[in-house]
Amino acid sequence: MTPWLVVGLPALAAVLGVAVRRDDRLAGAVAVGAAAVTLLLAGIAWGLAGRPTTVSPGPRLRAGELLVPLDLLSDPTRAALATVVVLVALAVQVYSTWYLATDDRYGQFAATVSLFTSAMLLVVHSGDLLLTVVGWEVMGWCSYLLVGHWSRRPSARRAALKAFLVTRVADIGFVLGVVGLAAGAGTTSLAAVLAAWDRPDACVDAALADGSTVGAALTACEAPDARVRALLLVLLVIGVLGKSAQVPFQDWLADAMEGPTPASALIHAATMVAAGTVVLASVYPVFADSPTARWFLGLAVSVTMLLGALLAFAQSDLKRMLAWSTVSQVAVMLAGVAAAPAEAGPDAGLFHLWAHALFKSLLFLAVGWAALAAGGTLAVALRGAAGAAPVLRVAFAAGFLSLAGVPLVVGGQSKEHVLATVWDGAVAVDGPGLLVLVALVLTSAVTAAYSTRGYLVLTVHTRQRPSAGRVPVAVTVVLWLLVGLSVLGGLVVVTGAFRLAPISLLWLLLTTLVVGVGVAVALRGGLDRDPADVLARRLVPVADRGLGADALYRRLVARPVLRLARVVAFVDTEVVDAYVRGSAVATRATGWAGERLHRGERPSAGVGLVLGAVVVLGGLGVVLWS
Amino acid sequence: MSALVSVDWLVLAPALAPAAGVVLVLAGDALAGGRAGRWALPLAAVTLVVGAGLALRGTVAGADAPLRTLCLPAPDGACLWTAGPRTSTLQAAVLLAAAAGLALLHDGRPRPRDGAVTATLLLAATTGGVAVAAARDLGTWLVALELATVPAVALVALRGSRPAVHGALSLLVTSLASFALLVLGAALWLTATGDAAFSRPSAAAAWAVPEQRAVLLLAVTVLVAGLGFKLSLVPFHAWTPQAYATTDLGTALFLATASKLSAVAALLVVAGALVDLGGATTPVVLVLGLPAVASLLLGTVVALRQDDPVRLLAWSTIAQAGWVLVPLTALSDAGARAAAAYVLAYAAASAVAFAVLSRTGARTLEATRGLLRREPLAGGALLIALLVLAGLPPGVIGLVTKILALSAPVTAGVWPVALAGVLAVVLGIAVYLRWVAVLLGAGTTPTALEEPGTGRRRSSVVVLVLGGVVLVVTSALPHVLLASAS
Repeated sequence: MTPWLVVGLPALAAVLGVAVRRDDRLAGAVAVGAAAVTLLLAGIAWGLAGRPTTVSPGPRLRAGELLVPLDLLSDPTRAALATVVVLVALAVQVYSTWYLATDDRYGQFAATVSLFTSAMLLVVHSGDLLLTVVGWEVMGWCSYLLVGHWSRRPSARRAALKAFLVTRVADIGFVLGVVGLAAGAGTTSLAAVLAAWDRPDACVDAALADGSTVGAALTACEAPDARVRALLLVLLVIGVLGKSAQVPFQDWLADAMEGPTPASALIHAATMVAAGTVVLASVYPVFADSPTARWFLGLAVSVTMLLGALLAFAQSDLKRMLAWSTVSQVAVMLAGVAAAPAEAGPDAGLFHLWAHALFKSLLFLAVGWAALAAGGTLAVALRGAAGAAPVLRVAFAAGFLSLAGVPLVVGGQSKEHVLATVWDGAVAVDGPGLLVLVALVLTSAVTAAYSTRGYLVLTVHTRQRPSAGRVPVAVTVVLWLLVGLSVLGGLVVVTGAFRLAPISLLWLLLTTLVVGVGVAVALRGGLDRDPADVLARRLVPVADRGLGADALYRRLVARPVLRLARVVAFVDTEVVDAYVRGSAVATRATGWAGERLHRGERPSAGVGLVLGAVVVLGGLGVVLWS
Repeated sequence: MSALVSVDWLVLAPALAPAAGVVLVLAGDALAGGRAGRWALPLAAVTLVVGAGLALRGTVAGADAPLRTLCLPAPDGACLWTAGPRTSTLQAAVLLAAAAGLALLHDGRPRPRDGAVTATLLLAATTGGVAVAAARDLGTWLVALELATVPAVALVALRGSRPAVHGALSLLVTSLASFALLVLGAALWLTATGDAAFSRPSAAAAWAVPEQRAVLLLAVTVLVAGLGFKLSLVPFHAWTPQAYATTDLGTALFLATASKLSAVAALLVVAGALVDLGGATTPVVLVLGLPAVASLLLGTVVALRQDDPVRLLAWSTIAQAGWVLVPLTALSDAGARAAAAYVLAYAAASAVAFAVLSRTGARTLEATRGLLRREPLAGGALLIALLVLAGLPPGVIGLVTKILALSAPVTAGVWPVALAGVLAVVLGIAVYLRWVAVLLGAGTTPTALEEPGTGRRRSSVVVLVLGGVVLVVTSALPHVLLASAS
């Protein structure tokens, strides 16, 4: 089963969807049908996936000194990730046929979601850095379109622009990193890049055993320059931090809640923010060699996961709470990459990606439904909104259980694996393991606390029975499916798609303990009050503004840039242009003088003079020269 | 015919065709009496186009196996007529440019009464222009060059108006001075090299001996000065704007294109002999570079202030003559090729511009305002011609030839000339875009078009369409022109 089919089908659906966008039914049928067929294909591909295979589209392209093979890779891990991406995309497509039924631009939305899915699948399957960049950039563009879908609202336009600008700025680092890695290897092929930048361990060890010094051994084995490698990887990580909304780029994701809820589900659960984890996992062998890059990423994600969790707890808007929880959870995934010991690999992080995709899409879709029923996404408005349908109660229970990391459900399993991996990393004392471990334990507690808060507000608190009107059966079925997977999805470990070490029972106990602490803290105010009101009343307004990151961006980035621009504009108009204008005046003056000189009617006398001058000067010059 | 010299008539055909045209026109005039004015010009044009077709035969010959004739039997079999691909292309261009001049003369109002005389003069000048391109010995070169010049003076004088006589007088004085210089230069060349032909080995041998080197340098200086009059290089340019402005458009086109092409062909014969001089070539570069830089800058700067399109084109001719000289300062074969390619592109663009002026009857830049909307065909042709002259896409051929012209001195390390060229590019863009802006502007009342008799100028339309097609095709496929100039 060729991965090109899995990547190409949603792209084709996007093109078709744009063509038929005027007809909502047709556009919906194309989008849902394509997603369903893609899911089938991805599932079959996963079932058949054995050894890692490389699929080349044809002859290798040569662009200058670069070799561009445009390969796609397929192995069980990638197939599993692709399957969950398509699964979430299908759920989102089905859900949006109902959620956006009255929207006049539904056709564009469905086509954009298809394109978005295709781009994410391209990143997942990419065996070529060029394809990774293509998928990465297409996702950035699609997220701009989706966040700004309700473009008649100024706040939606602003959020879209902010998402675009912030991720674009970070993408500068990503592109530079990719270009540097590819240039060093002379090709964009992922395997060749990894081979070129990896440390030739066996060779170095052999040389050291023979008694040569470290420097001599590295030189003899033609090891890549570690400083350059660290720099390139840090640049790559900057791009990842931007797309994944990690500190210091964290603020765009919460504002992106201006987009329609299905779009949020897609961006948060399966695509975009998770793409960074996929990319870093694919370059993991090189990444693991560079302590600098690991420390950089580890520091950023440690700050982010705790900050995101705290801010999530104190949000007055539950949709934004989920957004901040995504920031925190993506940091957990990245922690599994940053702090894993080299021999363990990034699979714990990827497993958390898989789990997060399932429970976060479930939570977003359920909150969207509840918000329609309750008429708003504020915690106050949403009190008891889960009463709108039985499936919502179960959905919130399963989703928040998973998010909190309660053992045995999928979110708990994946979090335990991340914890265990980070612990191994901390013990190995190579990299930021200890720091990440501390942050991770604290974050787990806070996560359990805000999960409890969400569940309390949505489900336990009661009110008059809200209603979202008639909801199609398909949407209910999708939610039940996601509920099932959020509970039982952890069974994926038995397929061997992720290379995970077995977990000791100790971790189960520890996680239970940590989660228990979080839940207990959240329940201090009793079952009837919003824990945020009890514990963090003062923090709420600050948290709603994202700690004032907007003002910070403005002060640290926007204002200096504008000031610099003003200086440049002044220099341009007053200094540089003066020379330009002066040269124009001088030219015209010279032209005028030249014209004056040639105004005479009879140049015959002048010809004679010139003639004589040529002969005399020529003769004189030659005589003097010789 | 003497057995001493072998003659291949077919090779000589490009020069023989206009000469035969002269005989035909004169005979027809004698037989038909005064009614010859009607058909003399078309007949002459036909012979020119036939000649151009015959000249194109030489462009397919390999560069290492040129068409040769008039060869002497012994001792070394020197040939007086050597036409490689580049020479043949230049010959064809001279013939076609002359035909374009005839077409504009045919459209002129009032139509020339003495058509036979006009046709004869133009054909004679063309014969000289074609012959000089293939001449490799001093004698043929001098005679052909003079044959290319003197009839042109008479053509300017034929207008009969008082300013035209002034123009012709100025041109005549200039021509005489230039002929004097050329003869002097030829004599010095013969003295320095002891060879009656422009050949590389003898020039290099003379350059190696200090005494001979001085004489050779003086010969080159005087020859460049003499050719400078014909090419309108600064400081030998003063006749150009006056002659163009006082004569009619057909003659001006002939002077601006066919005359320039033959003068460049003559210069390439001299420059071709100077390629392998050996060390210490700075004085030669100076002799070629000084007029080049002066022409580039003065021509462009003064063109910037002209409101009469003919005078603007005249000053632009002066600047473009400088451009032709720029690659020659490299003293290399690549430079010679770049100069030939440049002058070909310039001649085509210039012919189109004159044809558009003839079609619209515009005598000021303002009269062409909004021409692109009023008359898309003429306006479009003028637009592409101006862009080629400025060297801006989509006039790609202008850009390519300018880059080639600059790359030769850059390769040879003649930086001052290259810098002057860069400056001239910037100024030149201002010159031609000034006119382009007028062309694109919103149309005013078309005063020029309402003049009686401007509606039917079919020959000019043919010239501007064919010239425009040449510019568009060579812009799309520049290598066609570059290959034929190699």
